[in-house]
Amino acid sequence: MSMARILALARRIIRQVLRDKRTLALIFIVPLVVMTLLYLVLTGTSNVPTLALVRPTGAGSDRVNTILDSLLPGQDKLKTINIAASQVDTKLKNGNASAAIVFPPDFMQQILAGQRPAVRIVLEGSDPTVATAMSGTANALVHQLGIALAIAQAQQGKGGQTPPVLTTTLPFSVDVPQYLYGGPQYTFNDSIAPVFIGIFSFFFVFLLTSVAFLRERSQGTVERVMVSPLTRPELVMGYIFGFTLFALVQSLLILLFVVFALRVHYSGNLALVFLVTALLTVGSVNLGIFLSSFAQNEFQIVQFIPLVFGIQVFLSGIFWPVAQLPAALQPISYLLPLTYANNALRGVMLKGNSFGDIAGQLIALLVFALVMVFLSALSMRRQIA
Amino acid sequence: MAEQSEEQAQIQTEHEPVVVIEHLVKQFGKLRAVDDLSMTIQSGETFGLIGPNGSGKTTLIRLLVGLVRPTSGVIRVLHERVPHSRVLAQMGYMTQLSALYTDLTARENLQFFCSIYGLRGKAQELPIQEILARVDLADRANDVVNKFSGGMKQRLSLACALVHHPRLVFLDEPTVGVDPELRRSFWDYFAQLNTEGVTIIVSTHHLDEAARCSRLALMRFGKLLAQDTPQALLQQSGKDNMEDAFLQFASQQEVPA
Repeated sequence: MSMARILALARRIIRQVLRDKRTLALIFIVPLVVMTLLYLVLTGTSNVPTLALVRPTGAGSDRVNTILDSLLPGQDKLKTINIAASQVDTKLKNGNASAAIVFPPDFMQQILAGQRPAVRIVLEGSDPTVATAMSGTANALVHQLGIALAIAQAQQGKGGQTPPVLTTTLPFSVDVPQYLYGGPQYTFNDSIAPVFIGIFSFFFVFLLTSVAFLRERSQGTVERVMVSPLTRPELVMGYIFGFTLFALVQSLLILLFVVFALRVHYSGNLALVFLVTALLTVGSVNLGIFLSSFAQNEFQIVQFIPLVFGIQVFLSGIFWPVAQLPAALQPISYLLPLTYANNALRGVMLKGNSFGDIAGQLIALLVFALVMVFLSALSMRRQIA
Repeated sequence: MAEQSEEQAQIQTEHEPVVVIEHLVKQFGKLRAVDDLSMTIQSGETFGLIGPNGSGKTTLIRLLVGLVRPTSGVIRVLHERVPHSRVLAQMGYMTQLSALYTDLTARENLQFFCSIYGLRGKAQELPIQEILARVDLADRANDVVNKFSGGMKQRLSLACALVHHPRLVFLDEPTVGVDPELRRSFWDYFAQLNTEGVTIIVSTHHLDEAARCSRLALMRFGKLLAQDTPQALLQQSGKDNMEDAFLQFASQQEVPA
């Protein structure tokens, strides 16, 4: 194998891509635009939900309301509005609130009389994610209120003659939540940014290589090159070198953009991010060469996108962790290179994982890359002879 | 003195067989694209493969350059069985399509082909300069190929096949879509390469070009109709032009069912 010939091929590919301004825009600008849009969508959208309260009004209700107010987390985390029982349906349907807690007016009287008053929680429910979150919030609030009332009654019982005074604070404190990774300022963006570095390098490199190789085949240059001292392994290596360069520059650009322009939080080793991207890219280049042998034209390459890309977006843990997927789908996830890349990239960027921590993922990516190199070399034999 | 010894070397290699084919067969499914061909091509000659479309010329060339494996029979190129890396380095190949990187300039295409044949850096400059002048593209060297006309692409394609100074050149229909003036200049160039000791194997379906070859193989349905010098073939057939001669030979062939 001659390094000089491999580099000659890589240099030619680099020249071709550099000359094609639209392709350059596709590799370097589109990912940044998409990341920016994603960032704006995810952070610009108000995610402070509103809870409507139908407060008790009968005798003794002031104290219940005081406790309730002390339990509310604050308007920056949960907006609250006070409404009448008759307004619940309209307020929720109009989108003024996502959930309502409805106390009976005589809530306190019922408790003092030893009855169990019924507190209703009403959810708007059209967005399951919001509904689940609000259900949790409302339930937690009601239960905390219950605990506070129970403690107050117990203290009252101990005191004997003391008049029924309810304390307005909980008799214990809860610390600010402690984060093992990240912190309260971490957003969904922070956890999605690492995987997008992987997706973009995988996807654009796949697209670039498969179309470039298809073109090489249809314009007859691959045949021309095979009638030269350039061997098949050198051809594969040249392609890997040429396209990996762009993938690495691309992932570096995305990384810098995400960290410095979008100010996504990031901890960890840049070199490891590069290693993961490089392995993923080698696999992607060769998958491109391999699949291009099954396509007669560019349109047929486009038809591979749902197959190659769609499945990975859903099953590789980008939006839903693999462990939460239906058991039947999980084995498929573990066949996908992006599953391992996502784990590794999240591990490095969010948790500051070391080389040893992600060794398993790196091995999986290496295996994927080697299998793809083998398949592309095979397909090249098929395409030429 | 030096010139003399060069001439002597040429004379010595004059009758060296460069390509030897024995009972070559290539079967694609039911189609027998090349059917029991035997021929020997000598160094320094221009050997023409003449025949209509589908007569097996391209398949034969693809067999000779090692892109296709024979079904049976023997091919030896420069004394080696193809494909052989040492032999590949001494061969030039021009495909029927002009196989060029259309988003690169003419010079960049030539640089790429030079470097895969081991010519690097400064060593590329002179051969590239020379070949560009010979195919009359020196003033368009830095233009991107997709702006080129068909004839210019064809000329550049020929340049790419020759830039590394091969001993043996395979040209698959190099003059398709080329205007008469340019065709003549191609053939003048081939004659000049012959005097430099370069062997050329060229396929064409322009029968008027056949007269400019040293020897010809007339092909039809994958079979060899006749093989000799143009003059001898005319004599054998008793005709005065190659077209009539070809038809004369073809009429003697049994048409496969």
